[in-house]
Amino acid sequence: MDFYARTLIDYAVVALGMAIAMFVVFQVLVRLGMKREAATGYALILPWLLGFIIWTAYPILASLYYSFTNYNVFQPPKWVGLDNYIKWLTNDRSFWPSLRLTLLYGLISLPIGLALSLGVAMLLARNVRGVGVWRTLYYLPAVIPAVATILLWRWLLGSEGLVNQILSPVYNLIGMDKPSWFVDERYALPGLIIMSLWGVFGANTVILLAGLKNIPTHLYEAVELDGGGAWAKFRHITLPMVSPTLFYTLVLGMIAAVKTFEPGIFIKLNSLTTGTFLQVLVYGNAFAGGNSRMGYASALGWIMLVIIMVLTLLVFRSSALWVYYEGERK
Amino acid sequence: MNNFRLIIPFVIAGMAIAACAAPPVAPAPRAQQPAEQATPAPAAVAEKVKIRLATWAGVEEAKELQAVIDKVNAAATTYEIVHEPQPADYYTKIQTNLAGGTAADLLWLSQEFIAGYADKGVLLDISDYLKNDTRPAAQLDDYFPDVLQTAQFNGRTYGLPWIAQPVVLYYNPKMFADAGVEPPNENWTWDDFKAAAEKLTRDTDGDGKPDQWGTVFNGWPPIHMFIWQAGGEVISEDKTKSPIDTPEALAGAQFYKDIIYNPKYAAPQEVIKEQGFSELAKNGKVAMFFGGAADDLDYAHTKDPRFAEMQVALVPKGPKNRATFAWTASTVINAATKNPQAAYDALVDLTEGIHRWKIVAPRKSLANAEVIAASVPQKKASAEVILKALPDARSFRIVPRQSEWDSIFWEKFQDPLFQGKGTAAELAKQARPELEATLSQ
Repeated sequence: MDFYARTLIDYAVVALGMAIAMFVVFQVLVRLGMKREAATGYALILPWLLGFIIWTAYPILASLYYSFTNYNVFQPPKWVGLDNYIKWLTNDRSFWPSLRLTLLYGLISLPIGLALSLGVAMLLARNVRGVGVWRTLYYLPAVIPAVATILLWRWLLGSEGLVNQILSPVYNLIGMDKPSWFVDERYALPGLIIMSLWGVFGANTVILLAGLKNIPTHLYEAVELDGGGAWAKFRHITLPMVSPTLFYTLVLGMIAAVKTFEPGIFIKLNSLTTGTFLQVLVYGNAFAGGNSRMGYASALGWIMLVIIMVLTLLVFRSSALWVYYEGERK
Repeated sequence: MNNFRLIIPFVIAGMAIAACAAPPVAPAPRAQQPAEQATPAPAAVAEKVKIRLATWAGVEEAKELQAVIDKVNAAATTYEIVHEPQPADYYTKIQTNLAGGTAADLLWLSQEFIAGYADKGVLLDISDYLKNDTRPAAQLDDYFPDVLQTAQFNGRTYGLPWIAQPVVLYYNPKMFADAGVEPPNENWTWDDFKAAAEKLTRDTDGDGKPDQWGTVFNGWPPIHMFIWQAGGEVISEDKTKSPIDTPEALAGAQFYKDIIYNPKYAAPQEVIKEQGFSELAKNGKVAMFFGGAADDLDYAHTKDPRFAEMQVALVPKGPKNRATFAWTASTVINAATKNPQAAYDALVDLTEGIHRWKIVAPRKSLANAEVIAASVPQKKASAEVILKALPDARSFRIVPRQSEWDSIFWEKFQDPLFQGKGTAAELAKQARPELEATLSQ
């Protein structure tokens, strides 16, 4: 009770302080000659702005600084220059296998995931009875927490799990032992990719569905008048018209793939042989085990940023070849 | 201006509603007593100071510990210990709590963490408190020196060890009898162990693959103890060298390499991952298992008849000695505690209580069969062997940058050795300079 009352008072004090700060900002801006409407706007975004500076901008800049230091969260950081970056790239046995795993995971799971998302979105774009129910059902997996999903897949892909039980006749036919997904190095990556496809029916499908719904029907009618069939409609209308949406989901999916975290935490992978996800290495060095190497972990965070930027740049550069914008002139 | 005045009350109301609607996370009990006064009030009228204790105890262990704490609290006049078990991600949590200034007053720390945290100034130096304390648990000369040194750093003491658990050899008498192998005895050497492990690795269902194994290694037992047994060291006594490339150290490492994941003697990696490590022994799939003296392998079958019956023997002798690893942990005091004296008093009283609960108590005066049997009655039959193992028990030599040393030792030496990515001599030669770089301050 004591604790709750104290917390409530803390909240009230913060709220009051914020209101006073907003009022002061408003007054200062008006005195400086700003229009009242604009000053009101700035005063109202003040809480968000403070939150952004304190909780986002400052940690980003701090991590950049820490990446050049030896910092254990208890003692002041010691400047070491580029040492942390050099160690990751030349002397850390977990970095290259983990980079390989992370990139392969993204390169394989992303195109398959996008193709399946597009397929599901096209099915859901059809005007059939009860389409609302179908859309809800297909979106349901996306609202299940990641941890529950991973635990479910760990069970499904266990050596005596459902997947191996179902595929058992196939294994017998080709004379293969039941694979130990997530245990055997050879099957870890395929296992993770199969698991990632669970997300196919989530946000990407909804975004692509919106993109499909924006395609004017007269374009399909024009194809029909020209005698084109379903493939022609898909190849010459659907794909070009939905390509900006695909581009958007590809960029976001790629960033998410490089930042993959949960599967690597709940499925133990050997970082020295199979490799694990880069984000797991960041967490492991920054927090896990009670021996923080925050500077070293920060350096990997910034290496990941560079990787993401290079990949995004490549996708942006390639977009001229495959993304079609209606108003574009060539 | 009017716009803004209209909006302000809504903002405040909104925030107040948000505050009411979002209850905070369940509170961790806090030490709410103000800082101790120079002249304490009479015990009878003074309110007891709350001393928070963080441990990694799981449900069962926490229940047993609570019984110890209840007794300590009943006798205490100045403090009350409040237990905060954190069984998952313990070290990650306490690190965050310590850095954020919200850590408990007392903390359990495994041996490898104490020097590092002491070096970072996070732990209270209790050397001066101990000097004038006559309570039995505060008498440092009663502790096994090798165990006590894990709670010390630069000649100062930062905690009191509460357990010294030597590694012993659990074996399955039925599997030995079925394979026609004599059970282990006190004269067993590495060669005897290997010969028995080979005979005990058997294909019992005739499918051409072994389904029971002589032993199981997986990074546990620590490779250190075999290096010690061969006369080598992983960290020198003065803690300035890592002589892992000496012929003695290499002999110990090679013995380990010959056994780990080798289907001739031991369970392979895939089997361990699929069926669990100690579970292989409990389920009668592995005949010999190196385990801590407090493990329940020798009495698990009395709780659940599905588990295999096992007995205890000394670990086999190496070329030079029979050194065995002693796992130890201590209770330490958070340097930022608001009540250092009360926390210290609680530490000593609690340590005495734990020494009567955990086996083996790290004190010479308590290392006897009566105390072991009184602490854990199921261990009565194993007490004699456990006590025989104690004189050969050694703890790690801990250095401030222990986690870095451990990472390099694993990544550059042990793991590649186990995976066959180099010989012990090649890998030791490469790893030694990097290991020694972490020893120099």
